[in-house]
Amino acid sequence: MEAQEIISSGLLELYVAGLTSKEETAQVEQWIKQYPEVSAELVQIQLGVEEYAFANAVKPDDSVKQKILSQINADEGAKIVAIKGESKLYKVAGSVAYWKWAAAASILLLLASLALNVMFYGKYDTASKDLQQSQEELADAMQSNSSMKQDMNIVQSKYSEPVSLHGMKVAPDAAAKIFWMKNTGEVYVDPSNLPDIAQGKQFQLWAIVDGKPVDAGMILTSKKGDKYRIQKMKTFGTAQAFAITIEKEGGSPTPTMDQMVVSNL
Amino acid sequence: MYLLRQRDQQAFSYLYDNYAPALNGVIYRMVEDKTLAEDLLQEVFVKIWNNFSSYDNTKGRLFTWMLNLTKNLTIDTLRSKGYKKQAKISTDENSVSNLSDSSNGIEKFDTIGLRKMLGTLKPEQRQLIDMAYFNGFTQDEIAKQTGIPLGTVKTRMRSAIIELRKILQHT
Repeated sequence: MEAQEIISSGLLELYVAGLTSKEETAQVEQWIKQYPEVSAELVQIQLGVEEYAFANAVKPDDSVKQKILSQINADEGAKIVAIKGESKLYKVAGSVAYWKWAAAASILLLLASLALNVMFYGKYDTASKDLQQSQEELADAMQSNSSMKQDMNIVQSKYSEPVSLHGMKVAPDAAAKIFWMKNTGEVYVDPSNLPDIAQGKQFQLWAIVDGKPVDAGMILTSKKGDKYRIQKMKTFGTAQAFAITIEKEGGSPTPTMDQMVVSNL
Repeated sequence: MYLLRQRDQQAFSYLYDNYAPALNGVIYRMVEDKTLAEDLLQEVFVKIWNNFSSYDNTKGRLFTWMLNLTKNLTIDTLRSKGYKKQAKISTDENSVSNLSDSSNGIEKFDTIGLRKMLGTLKPEQRQLIDMAYFNGFTQDEIAKQTGIPLGTVKTRMRSAIIELRKILQHT
C-alpha cells in the first residue's frame, strides 16, 4: 500500500482512537516504521485530538494531586516499580534493602538464640540442682531408714529384754528404755524421752551391780543437744538396775545422785 | 531512596500539571459527575504511573497513550458500576459548549477562544470525534448511533479530523 493511500484510508484516525483490531494495530505500527509520511501524519492526527482534549479540559480539585501523590508514594514503599530508566536504581535500592533486612534478621535470630541458650542453661541448672537435692533427700531417707531398721532389730530381737526407766524428782515426766540382750549382755538405750539438756552437760548411764553404780557409758547427743537414736552402751552380764544421771561432758567416775533423771531403782 | 522519591515527585508533578485537566475533562464528559471524575482521575494517574514502563513512544504520543488508558479505565468503571453508557451525544451544541456554559463550579481552562473555534466544526463531525476519542465507542457502536454504514466510519472519521486540524491551524 502506498503511503498516501494509507493516510487517506482513515485507519490512522481509528488507530489513534484505539479502535483498530489487533491485526490492524500491528499493521499500522509496521507502516509507521516503514513510511515517514505515515508517521508524520499520525503525529498530526494525535496533535489534533490532543488540542481538542485540551480545549475541553476541566481543572480538577487541587486535593486530587496530593491524593495521587501519597497513593503513589505508599505504593512505591510496598513494591518495586520498574519505571523506565529508573529500574536499575530501584533494583540497587531494593538489594541494599534486602541485605539490610537479611542482616537485621540474622542479628535477631542470633539474639533469639542467645536468649534461648540463657533460658535453657537456667533450666538445666535448676534441674541439676533439683536432682542433687532429690538425691541428698533420698540418701538421708535411706540412712534414716537403715537406722530405723537397726533400732527395730534391737527392739524386735527375741533376746532383748526391755527395761523401763521412769522419771525421778528432777524430771518426773522423763523416761527411757533399756534393751538388754540376754544372750550377749549387750545393753542398748533409747534416749528419746529424756529431757533437753544444757550445753556442756551429758547423760551418763549407770548399771547397778552388787549395789554399786558402775559406769555404763555416755549417751551421745548432738551438738545442738538433740538425743540420738537407740545406741549401744557397755556390756553387762549381770545388773540389778539401771539409772541415768546428768553429768559434765565426758562423764564422771561416780554418779551425781541428785542429778538422777530416770531409773528403775 | 529519598532522592528517588524526590525525583518521582517532580516527574509526577510535571506529568500531572500538564495532563490532568485534559484527562479530567475527558472523564468528566463521560461520567458527568465531578467527584466521580476526580476519583477516576486519581485511579488513572496511579495506573499511568505504575504502567509507565509499558508506554512505547514509537507507537504514539504520550498523551494518546494516556487518553486511551483513561478512556478504557472510565468505561470499565462505568460498566462495572452498572452505569448505562452515556447515549447523550447530541447533534447540537451540547457536548462542547455545555461545559463552558454550565455553572457547576468547575474551573475551566483558558481555552474559550479555541472552544469557540471548535464550535464551527460540523455537529456530526464533532459527534464522531467525541464518540471515537472521548467516549470509547467502538466502530460498531458509532455506526449504530449515527446511522453511518460501518464501512464508511473510517473515512468519515478522517474527514472530521481533517476539519478539526484545519480549525486548529487557524488559531
